[in-house]
Amino acid sequence: MPEYKAPLRDIQFVMNELLSAEQHYASLEGAEDATPDMVDAIVQEGAKFCEQVLSPLNRVGDEEGCKLTDDGVKTPSGFKEAYQQYVEGGWPSITADPNYGGQGLPHSIGLVISEMVGTANWSWGMYPGLSHGAINTIEAHGTEEQKQTYLTKLTSGEWTGTMCLTEPHCGSDLGTLRTKAEPNEDGSYRITGTKIFISAGEHDMAENIVHIVLARLPGAPEGTKGISLFIVPKCLPNEDGSAGERNGLSCGSLEHKMGIHGNATCVMNFDGAKGWLIGPENKGLNCMFTFMNTARIGTAIQGLGAAELGFQGSLAYAKERLAMRSLSGPKNPDGIADPIIVHPDVRRMLLTQKAIAEGARALIYLAGQQVDIVHSGKTDEEKQAADALLSFLTPIAKAFLTEIGYESANLGMQVFGGHGYISEWGMEQNVRDARIGMIYEGTTGIQALDLLGRKVLMSQGEALKVFTKQVHLFCKENADNEQLKEFVEPLAALNKEWGDVTMKIGMTAMKNREEVGAASVDYLMYSGYIVFGYLWARMAKVAQEQLAEGTTEEMFYNAKVQTARFYFKRLLPRTKAHAEAMLAGADTLLDMPEDAFFI
Amino acid sequence: MADYQAPLREMRFVLNEVFDAPALWASLPGVAGNVDPDTADAILEEAGKITAGVLAPLNREADEQGCRWNDGDVTTPEGFKEAYQTLVEGGWNGLGGNPEFGGMGMPKTLVAQFEEMMQAANMSFGLAPMLTAGACVALDAHGSPELKEKYLPKLYSGEWSGAMDLTEPHAGTDLGIIRTKAEPQDDGSYRITGTKIFITWGEHDMAENIVHLVLAKLPDAPKGPKGISMFLVPKFLVNDDGSLGERNQFGCGSLEKKMGIKASATCVMNYDGATGWLVGEENKGLAAMFTMMNYERLGVGIQGLGAAEASLQSAREYANERIQSRAPTGARQPDKAADPILVHPDVRRMLMTMKSFVEGGRAFSTYVASWLDIAKFSEDDQQREHADGMVALLTPVAKAFLTDRGLDTTILGQQVFGGHGFIREWGQEQLVRDCRITQIYEGTNGIQAMDLMGRKVVGSEGKLFELFAEDVTNFIEQNSMDAALRPYLESLAAALERLSDVTELVIKQAGENPEAVGAAAVDYLDMFGYTALAYMWAKMVKAAAEKAGNDTSGFYTGKIKTARFYYDRLLPRTVALAEGIRSGEGAMMAPDASEI
Repeated sequence: MPEYKAPLRDIQFVMNELLSAEQHYASLEGAEDATPDMVDAIVQEGAKFCEQVLSPLNRVGDEEGCKLTDDGVKTPSGFKEAYQQYVEGGWPSITADPNYGGQGLPHSIGLVISEMVGTANWSWGMYPGLSHGAINTIEAHGTEEQKQTYLTKLTSGEWTGTMCLTEPHCGSDLGTLRTKAEPNEDGSYRITGTKIFISAGEHDMAENIVHIVLARLPGAPEGTKGISLFIVPKCLPNEDGSAGERNGLSCGSLEHKMGIHGNATCVMNFDGAKGWLIGPENKGLNCMFTFMNTARIGTAIQGLGAAELGFQGSLAYAKERLAMRSLSGPKNPDGIADPIIVHPDVRRMLLTQKAIAEGARALIYLAGQQVDIVHSGKTDEEKQAADALLSFLTPIAKAFLTEIGYESANLGMQVFGGHGYISEWGMEQNVRDARIGMIYEGTTGIQALDLLGRKVLMSQGEALKVFTKQVHLFCKENADNEQLKEFVEPLAALNKEWGDVTMKIGMTAMKNREEVGAASVDYLMYSGYIVFGYLWARMAKVAQEQLAEGTTEEMFYNAKVQTARFYFKRLLPRTKAHAEAMLAGADTLLDMPEDAFFI
Repeated sequence: MADYQAPLREMRFVLNEVFDAPALWASLPGVAGNVDPDTADAILEEAGKITAGVLAPLNREADEQGCRWNDGDVTTPEGFKEAYQTLVEGGWNGLGGNPEFGGMGMPKTLVAQFEEMMQAANMSFGLAPMLTAGACVALDAHGSPELKEKYLPKLYSGEWSGAMDLTEPHAGTDLGIIRTKAEPQDDGSYRITGTKIFITWGEHDMAENIVHLVLAKLPDAPKGPKGISMFLVPKFLVNDDGSLGERNQFGCGSLEKKMGIKASATCVMNYDGATGWLVGEENKGLAAMFTMMNYERLGVGIQGLGAAEASLQSAREYANERIQSRAPTGARQPDKAADPILVHPDVRRMLMTMKSFVEGGRAFSTYVASWLDIAKFSEDDQQREHADGMVALLTPVAKAFLTDRGLDTTILGQQVFGGHGFIREWGQEQLVRDCRITQIYEGTNGIQAMDLMGRKVVGSEGKLFELFAEDVTNFIEQNSMDAALRPYLESLAAALERLSDVTELVIKQAGENPEAVGAAAVDYLDMFGYTALAYMWAKMVKAAAEKAGNDTSGFYTGKIKTARFYYDRLLPRTVALAEGIRSGEGAMMAPDASEI
């Protein structure tokens, strides 16, 4: 398993040099504590924890997996202790509301920590990660009493949380869910039903688990408009706030899965469990949408993590493994062969990973700043603008990053040749773990429908303009920059094309609604590549400025420019194939007789 | 998980209607006596029964159990031994073998269909007959008459199995630096000493003997690839009467723990002065191994195809049964809680992509197999030489493109299942894990791409490429009056021209900069593959078009719609690939290693 090293230099580059973190934090309400020194110290401390405590447990978690025993679910060796350290270090509370014990730091800092945690050990990171959903729900929709009871414990990390949505017969289509909630006389509800795929639904790391459960009230309307949210704790809280008797729910079994073995994926049986309504009746799905963007950015990080981990592992291997001679003459004449990093195709694989990992970091941090502004911007206008940008970027970040993060993890494995397929090197685990990213929290297909259908087309293209305007401004400001020309020119052209193809699809979709679903995934991938183009052009600009001013880190900045160039020449052209495919129309998909699939 | 069913209708379509294989067989004297359409059909039927009925049901559980190592012995998962016995009894191991030594002498075009079924049903298991067949090809081509006499009949019958020992801990892609040594003995045999890793089915309990073909270096052999020889090293020494003698001095040191193909034993083999016999000439071992490799490489491509087919079968069944959300244009099954997900355009995009790759891939593997048949059996020197060229050119494409698209397909097949695709019980994730190795072994796909671009295309100064281009061009010209085909032919011609342009460009660049080949290779192979599949789909349209009118089953119209989809949605990828290639080597070679 590659030893994870937090890429601190690149983290600083994106935060400070690309996205001007200092000004950003200064512009927020109540973020006075987020001084550059403070942020730096938190990131350094987080890096240490992830490198020293979490990373060594990654392979252990995969090998041991979780076990369901009579006493509940046992997590892999070391997971519980690591969690204890995490709680003692105050990590669960860094971005939480100070009124309930949080440290109130901006969310973007939490995302940096999530990146490091998730790259070092995604399975482990899901335990505290899932708490965010419960925290967000209660923060946004809970009563004061619910906040006092649950939020404080979730914030401190003494308790963890889950989101219970999926049922055996429904995942993407939550409108058909069957779990029911019957009112008790004391104002609580009896929850009965089966939930599946509940990550961290049961474990031994915390003394209580707070489930947020989607269920139907008696007489609720059919479909998505009849769903309500309930807080259903594993142990009922006592008057003094401690965890009391067991509630009527349990983990029925654990799923055997392709990856993330260290995380417990539970079938949860609710058998008249006691729960409390949170938010208005029948508005459960709406309530969840209030923080859907934040949650999905959290999942998008898995793509970044997979790319970073695969890149770190394969880069080290490519520098050490000797095979064949460079075609332009030996580079390591004293050795029996040259290190494989001399071969162009190995470089293609490494540079692809580097372009993906670093581009992904830029996108996540950019989205993270929008989350900050949505929460703590000083004016409503700022907040609305950030919300619009975040809404647009979220499905792209979630789907595009997990897709290309997976591609990247596969390349990391490919660099290792046969050794990549062997468990001991950890690269195949990275691939197996990364695969779920494209599925949960809304599959790639669902994200694509969200982007093209709900956001771009429903707003008549306004949602897209929020972003293309930024790109346009950047291109205009740098139109005369000779050095940047190789990036700005193709970017400007694509930015324009982006609007044009969107218009075309919009026109055809007015005639045939099937066109949206027929174009959506290609549209999302196409959009993702342009977003990356914009970010890489901006990163190249920052690097070129540093190089022009004279820097001691010439290698670092040169690498940025080279990687941007690689991205523009080798990866960005993929937009062409996606553009053609999405404009091909729905007929090529729908004309096929259904029977013809089966003979 | 859908129960695997051999896609016999599809195979018959490709063999009989697209390629007219019976006519090809009849034209090749070495084959004509062995096979006619009825025999071929009976073989397909029977192969379908055995693979679906015996091998497929073992696949899932065997993945869970894996192979177990105990003090040098390897125990295979439950049912493997019996299944292997069934194959032996049916004579399946010798299907394509040389009749002189007990093989059935069937053409590759037919054998390829059996291979696909076996790999789709159970890839871990399928590796054993595949490795044996590969060893037989090498032995048949390079072994002495005595070695052939002694070993081939038992390998063809399947009583013994074969293994190929190439890789060492420090040497995989770069075999020139292997260290295993072979010391000549007075009796003409050699003492083999060294460690080999990643030896598939190097040790197991299914056959009574295992015949290893081992690469090693003779004392004072030249350095590098020109100092490697090949040796036959049996697990049990064989007495003159053919019976098994004492155990040879080597054994399995451990099994690798890996991502997939868990039911096949991936062995570390320790040779400790084992007795072996030279196969072929001294220091020509690598060349001898390549004989086997061309054959195996198509076989690995077929593994990718098989995994893809298995994934497609499950995904379409799931898409038809799983109900979720309503069709955008109104409910299709109003009496149910939701519509089957097959109605959603994006689910269709995934299924159609899978179908394009699987059916296009099957046509392509059969196309390559037909060139292998001509190369092996034709009595016309010119025709044979032509076919040899095609085989040389197309083999790396078949290996890499079919496995790359195989992985894409299994990933899509998993995606159709949503969260259930990640869960083991449904079988889709196993297909992804199993398929993943095919991009790596038998020469990584990067190595295939170098073989295609460097050795074959640039190495022949484009002559080999021209063979393929001519074949496509002839097809286009011969069918230019066919109205049904015309829309496809225009795009096909454009795609071929794009590929030809890039070919010319890279040949030119290679003359100026040796790194140009490696920088273009993988994208070039991809582009070649997409273009070749477009050719296959045009051929399938030709075979289907005239029958589509009277077709009530949907089979032929399905072919035409899938072709349309492929041309509209997948072939455009060549445009992106061409642009990447044209950008040259600079993007990759300019950064210093430290800057990466």
